[in-house]
Amino acid sequence: MNPSETPPSSDTTAHLERKAGLLLAGVAAVILGFVLYVMTARGLFESTQQLVLISDDSEGVIVGMDLTFSGFPIGRVRRIELAQDGKARLVIDVPVKDARWLRTSSIFTMERGMVGDTRIRAFSGILSDPPLPADAERELLRGDTAAEIPRLVASARAILENLEAMTAAESSLNASLGHLKTTTKRMTGRYGVLSGVLGSDEQAQKIIQTLERTNTLLTKTDQRVFGNGGVMDDTQAALGSGKAALDQLHSVLLDTHQTLKNVDAVLAEAQAVGINARVATADLGPLRAEVEASLRKLSQLTNEVNRKWPFARDTEIKLP
Amino acid sequence: MPLTPVHPQRLAHWGHTVQRQWASWRFMLQLGASVLVLALTPGTYTPLFQATTARRLVISTWQVLPWFTSLAALLSLVLIRIVVVTALSYGLSQYALQMMVRVLVLELIPLSAAMFVALRSGLAFNAGALPTVSATGAHRVQAPPFERLRGELAPQVLADAFSVLTLAMVSSVVALLLAYLTVYGLSPWGLPGFTRTVGQVFDLAVSLGFMLKAFLFSMAVAVVPMAASLEAPPATSTMQPGAVRLFLVLLLIEAASLTLKYI
Repeated sequence: MNPSETPPSSDTTAHLERKAGLLLAGVAAVILGFVLYVMTARGLFESTQQLVLISDDSEGVIVGMDLTFSGFPIGRVRRIELAQDGKARLVIDVPVKDARWLRTSSIFTMERGMVGDTRIRAFSGILSDPPLPADAERELLRGDTAAEIPRLVASARAILENLEAMTAAESSLNASLGHLKTTTKRMTGRYGVLSGVLGSDEQAQKIIQTLERTNTLLTKTDQRVFGNGGVMDDTQAALGSGKAALDQLHSVLLDTHQTLKNVDAVLAEAQAVGINARVATADLGPLRAEVEASLRKLSQLTNEVNRKWPFARDTEIKLP
Repeated sequence: MPLTPVHPQRLAHWGHTVQRQWASWRFMLQLGASVLVLALTPGTYTPLFQATTARRLVISTWQVLPWFTSLAALLSLVLIRIVVVTALSYGLSQYALQMMVRVLVLELIPLSAAMFVALRSGLAFNAGALPTVSATGAHRVQAPPFERLRGELAPQVLADAFSVLTLAMVSSVVALLLAYLTVYGLSPWGLPGFTRTVGQVFDLAVSLGFMLKAFLFSMAVAVVPMAASLEAPPATSTMQPGAVRLFLVLLLIEAASLTLKYI
């Protein structure tokens, strides 16, 4: 039945209109909310600063791609353009609140793996550096897995060639292994490792004989040195007599020590005598002076007497 | 090999068919344009028009919104779960969310809403307008009278179009919520990453294409069956009038959308 055929009552109409209004308002709210959410998700309400990354190849980069720092998206590619010098310029919008992670020393890399999309990453090693200014231009370093493959294949080929040369029948490694086999085979012989090291059983036998002789010599030496009446016993006896001589020498030294003490006392007395002699010698000087003065006076007195009469003599000298 | 001469009667038949199709498409476009003009004219919104439109809105949208939303949520949950588990098993979980938004919100849900409304109300519409049959037996397309257009047809078209938009939008929002809950659970810490992913999907071209596609879907679902009903010859086919054309139009819109988006 067509609903339009039955005229609805006014209550029903009001009810329906209320429902329709509610529906319209609800759907309008959902659409408006969704549009606002998408605009927020697109970053239309964020204040951003611009960063330009310069690369020689922008393959794999698409508008809207993230710039990540430590795995967190901190920017979005807004535009890709070709510069006059033929390099690709990636214009990236970085929200101002996330720009603090970018410093002047930051480096930017573009990684392209075998599977998955291209990634642009920022690395800031020194976070105490000055912040990256707006509209800065930086070089974008590329790490391309696909570009590494030819070099990897060339290296692998060289390694395989080396390996092939090493494992060939005439190779040094094979010869070394053959020698090792010969040596180990000798080692399993009668004389063991000695045959392996010396090259033949004859040489090993000589070594064994030498060892046996050495052993015999050592036995004899032991008997001569440490046996009864050997060198060690003689040495021990000599050491005993030496000790007695040393004891006697010790007593002699003690006597000498005592004698020297007496000599010291004598010397001390001699020293005292010397001191007395020195004092006496010191007194001799004035005594001598006094004697000389007395003698001089006596001489003067004698001269005086001689000049006096009757003892006067004719002292005049007459020339012939 | 000699060419077989085309019979003049067959040529006349082809010409008649082309002419009839052209007239039919033109009538359909004219009907849609007329309804749009009426909807954008303030003088159209008389109390009677409002009451009729409200009744149609309630019938076409209010009654089916819970059921369709539940069904869409269930199917979305299944698809989301499959995509997430598959992506995790291949180590591609970072692409799962984007893929779900692209597949569900942008493609499947609008198409499902359009098909649902088309099956429920669009194709069930029977205008009851018998076209004029000429003396030669061929029917002739006539535009409906203005009073009928304003009093009956325009509210129905608007209600159906609104129903498609509403079901698509509400189901899309529910699908987004389910995708978030499936990937991140009840934790609020995934919201910045989720928002960023949604922002990456809905760039300007995709957003405009999504809105345009939803609008064209809604108009197609509302106008094509009604135009076909108005011009259908009486009891000539057991198929609902306009069904093939509606599916053709929906297919063309979807193909054009995909072509513009991904090529």
